[in-house]
Amino acid sequence: MGDAARALIGSPRTRPALLFALALALYLAPFAVGTEYRLFIATQMAAYVLVAIGLNLLNGYGGQVSLGHGALVAIGAYTVALAMVDHQWSFWPATLLAMVAAAAVGAVMALPAFRLSTWYFALITLGFAEVVGGLLTEWRELTHGFAGVVGIPKPGVLGHTLTSFDLYWLALSLNILALLGMANLLRSRFGRALVAVRDNPVAATAAGVALVRIKMMAFVVSAAMAGLAGALFAVQKTVVTPDDFTADFSIFFLLMVVLGGAGRLWGPVVGAVVFFLVPELLTALQSWRMLIYGVALLLLMLYAPHGLVGAIETGWKRLRTRLGLSNIPPAPSTAIARETVHPIAGAALSVRDVEKRFGGVSALAGVSLDVAAGTTHAIVGPNGSGKTTLLNMISGFYPIDGGAILIDGRSVVGMAPHRIARSGVGRTFQTPRMLPQLSVLDNALLGAFPAERQGAAAAALSLPRARREQMASLGDALRYLDFVGLADRAMEPAGELPHGQQRLAEIARALVGRPRLLLLDEPAAGLSLAELDRLGELIAAIGALGTTVVIVEHHLELVANICRSVTVLERGAVLASGTPAEVFSHEEVIAAYMGSHSSVGQAAS
Amino acid sequence: MDLDLLVGALTAGSLYALVAMGFNILYRPTNVFNFAQGDLVMLGAMFGATFITLLGLPWFVGAALAMLAVAALALVEEKIAVAPVLKNSASSHGWVITTLAVSMIFANLVGLGWGPDPIAVRPPAPLSTDTFELFGANISSYQIAVMVITVVLVLGVEAFYGTRSGKAVLAVAEDRDAALLRGINPNRLSSWSFFLGGGVAALTGVLAAPVLYASTGLGPSLLLKGFAAAAVGGIGNNRGALLAGYIIGLVEAVAAALLSPGYQLAATFAVMLAILLVRPHGLFGRAEARAV
Repeated sequence: MGDAARALIGSPRTRPALLFALALALYLAPFAVGTEYRLFIATQMAAYVLVAIGLNLLNGYGGQVSLGHGALVAIGAYTVALAMVDHQWSFWPATLLAMVAAAAVGAVMALPAFRLSTWYFALITLGFAEVVGGLLTEWRELTHGFAGVVGIPKPGVLGHTLTSFDLYWLALSLNILALLGMANLLRSRFGRALVAVRDNPVAATAAGVALVRIKMMAFVVSAAMAGLAGALFAVQKTVVTPDDFTADFSIFFLLMVVLGGAGRLWGPVVGAVVFFLVPELLTALQSWRMLIYGVALLLLMLYAPHGLVGAIETGWKRLRTRLGLSNIPPAPSTAIARETVHPIAGAALSVRDVEKRFGGVSALAGVSLDVAAGTTHAIVGPNGSGKTTLLNMISGFYPIDGGAILIDGRSVVGMAPHRIARSGVGRTFQTPRMLPQLSVLDNALLGAFPAERQGAAAAALSLPRARREQMASLGDALRYLDFVGLADRAMEPAGELPHGQQRLAEIARALVGRPRLLLLDEPAAGLSLAELDRLGELIAAIGALGTTVVIVEHHLELVANICRSVTVLERGAVLASGTPAEVFSHEEVIAAYMGSHSSVGQAAS
Repeated sequence: MDLDLLVGALTAGSLYALVAMGFNILYRPTNVFNFAQGDLVMLGAMFGATFITLLGLPWFVGAALAMLAVAALALVEEKIAVAPVLKNSASSHGWVITTLAVSMIFANLVGLGWGPDPIAVRPPAPLSTDTFELFGANISSYQIAVMVITVVLVLGVEAFYGTRSGKAVLAVAEDRDAALLRGINPNRLSSWSFFLGGGVAALTGVLAAPVLYASTGLGPSLLLKGFAAAAVGGIGNNRGALLAGYIIGLVEAVAAALLSPGYQLAATFAVMLAILLVRPHGLFGRAEARAV
């Protein structure tokens, strides 16, 4: 029996077969058990699932809490209702208008919020829901006030009016398409970028992801889905009133996502099903309902942040471990051979009299340095001398107070950090900025974000050209993971790697972006001696590709071995610069760095 | 312009500024924006109404008891809903949902306990809500008191941030770990700030009750208007919040007069979005530079 279970659970074909059977059962169910009431409930549930799937993209994956999705559904429902009843539109163009309206109104509301901290968005959407709820009754000329819109006709196709059976099948099909599209989108560069925006915005920016754009993309997709659900809602209920869209309605969707599992593909589906399975309980406790919702939200966030699906996943993994099966998926096989990595044309870096002040404190006071294209340059100096600040200025994370920074002769002053990253500047951080829940491979693939051209629609539909591009990026990522020596750990969650290997993985991610200038911030900190040797070889190999490397490092032996030139900073100014041999025999450097009694030259030899 | 309208706008604006200050007191050391703050204000109004109107206690005793009760509830909120989330990850935004959940729990418990009917609260003697004419505007002594108390409170809290303890609060906001190294205990500060933020919220509620009545409906509306004042004024900036509170109060009053009271919230919301679009960190705020 153990063998049979192992074969069944271990087989990669079990899941698709089960899902296919489930879909078939849902399509055929109305013939067996379809009553008008059940179809009504099932269709309504399908509309809710659609909203929740969209909200999960934004909230579960993107980390943006929307408390206004109920209002977006209201906009969709009213758009369809008014277009069909007051203007005799047919259902299909009205639905398209509903999606556009929800997305457009939502985008105008969200734009200011996305430039700020996450919680602004939550509050602004909450306000938006209140405003829309108020306008539904107040703007009588448009919305018919309290009475709402009545007599919404059923949709028709070629003269045939859809029955409640047809509506159910339509809603079910939309759910399946939404799930498939979402799965494709999440597998693409957009899914990784969204998770990066949620878990580590700095890493996302360094990889060339425009935070506001990616959040807006997720929001527009999820708002359009809410608009579509609103359209279904309207024709299914045949009447819409302001009472259908109270403030609680939005909270209800959030709870659905959190209960089912935020950031899990099936979370919203499971959440919606559970909600519709316990309606009797909730009607009996009508006045306690919101209180129960509140307690449930609190407990879920504290004790089960990935909801029911997260709990099932944990149990499933435990079962596999007990059966002796690995929880690490096999690495994807690519048609592309593991050819050697291509050479890169390095970029020259020129820093001219750069100044930076924090409050009244001068962190950099007129620092200049030049790095020739394709060479490796080190910045050394005591703690607080401004080394990391300088890297942050070159990569655009800090605005500049004076001076100039040129990369291949082009000024990057004032450019947004993700744009500088896109122009070919890769970087790593003092503490590796990994996405701990994603695999090492996915972390490396994040580096391919700017190189890929596919849009969200092409990714969601998994068009052939999008798939080809994804395969090419996959080949690149595997190749660079191999290059840094992490090929055999590619499928493990990045958070489970030891510190030193996370550093290597971060370097691989930067390399996948094929940087012409690579900035490494203390890559040797905390490495063992063996790892240190490997790092030296790796940086030399990166230099050999042609990439210009700027490395901030305390480890002078490493610097002496791999760098052609060195700049020494002290208290925000250049103390010395030249070849390692010149600089490390400089008296002031010895005094500043090691105390006057010892010689840096000895340490470096 | 109608001067009566200005009086109403400045009174309401003062209350919004006080709500915003409650947000700020909490936000500065914790970087947490409490979604239950509106309900803490509402609780302050309900407790105040219970102690003063229903139990007939003297105004100052009732107000003090209400502040103590709400401060204690805010402390409970910090312990069960905020500290556990921040312990897992200081940068996590899980508190958005947990404090929202607390807001739902507070609002519905009050609804079950007190019922939906608003309770009238009289102002402390010798103040009165009866209006008299001053420079051509109808104004009550209580409205004047609310405006003056607000200004005094804002200036007082700002003066506190200039002291040694106040600087500790700001240091924690800037860098939790660095503050820890200098012997400041961020967890204790965070508890204290919830306690004080709860007290300020309760005082706001008690002050608002004679003007707005005490009812469960206060929570959501004050949450949003207080947020609008805080955001427009620049998060963390109490003087900014005061001016922004006046602006929000004026926009509301003008929208009610020109359009209809139903459009008040929509107008406030539109003005806030427009300001944030042009100045993301508010009229008097500054961007937080440290990211890396």
